[in-house]
Amino acid sequence: MDIKEKIVEAAIEIFSSMVMMDVSVSEEEVNDSGKLKDTITGLIGLAGTHKGVLAIHIPHPVAMAITSNFLGIDVTEINEDVEDAVGELANMMGGNVKTVLTGNGRDIDLSLPSTISGASYQFQTSKDVEKVVVRFDTAHGPFLVELQLEK
Amino acid sequence: MDSNTLYEYFVLQEDGMGKNVLLVDDSSTMRKIIGRSLRQAGIEFDNIFEAGDGLEALAVLEKEKVDIILSDINMPNMDGIAFLREKSNRANMKDIPVLMISTETGDDIIGEAKSLGAVGSIKKPFTPDKVNEILGPLL
Repeated sequence: MDIKEKIVEAAIEIFSSMVMMDVSVSEEEVNDSGKLKDTITGLIGLAGTHKGVLAIHIPHPVAMAITSNFLGIDVTEINEDVEDAVGELANMMGGNVKTVLTGNGRDIDLSLPSTISGASYQFQTSKDVEKVVVRFDTAHGPFLVELQLEK
Repeated sequence: MDSNTLYEYFVLQEDGMGKNVLLVDDSSTMRKIIGRSLRQAGIEFDNIFEAGDGLEALAVLEKEKVDIILSDINMPNMDGIAFLREKSNRANMKDIPVLMISTETGDDIIGEAKSLGAVGSIKKPFTPDKVNEILGPLL
């Protein structure tokens, strides 16, 4: 299974089993996350035999809907619950991607998740990286999963 | 509780079968989801205690009667492996079973957890049915 397939499989499994939300791969292909507006990004760093970062970029309204489903409460603002939920999504995505990159054990270490949120920002690409970006659609809007791995 | 203590823990429900569980995860979202999954799986506890890392978990275990622990591995301050190691050195808590709930699935790290006393593992993401399948026989 290649990385993109694993990202898709992991996202569908995470959203169906824990977020209780249907997601599908968007027909619109994207190669870059571009300028992100009113978005929250969950980040996980990868270190070891593969170095890089996995990010999940979620527009604020979609992030609030996801967190509402995740926690079973009505979320109407970007708060600590949203940051924690988006960080945990990145954590689970990172853990799943790690299993493709390393068959076993501690060849790759994952960082603890962190989040960035803002009205307008750009997720910079490091030099010499292999980048995979997958856009997903939900009933509340799209979100992106981006994996950058050093070549 | 004294706000100066190093940890916080919460009692989430009080209608169980006389057993207490401790959830250890740095994500408050994940602790809530695990608690919800336990209820959806029909597994009830008298008390559900929470801790955000291994250090907080040890503090809870020093004060409360806990029958089983569900613990993450990757956490700040004291991770799940260091928690298992420290717990195994404390006579008053070394025999409390620990089930790991983590994104970590590698044989090395799960093997190390089991060598330090973990009785099993559940991979994130999980369903209530999976929690019931693995946790149920341990209760």
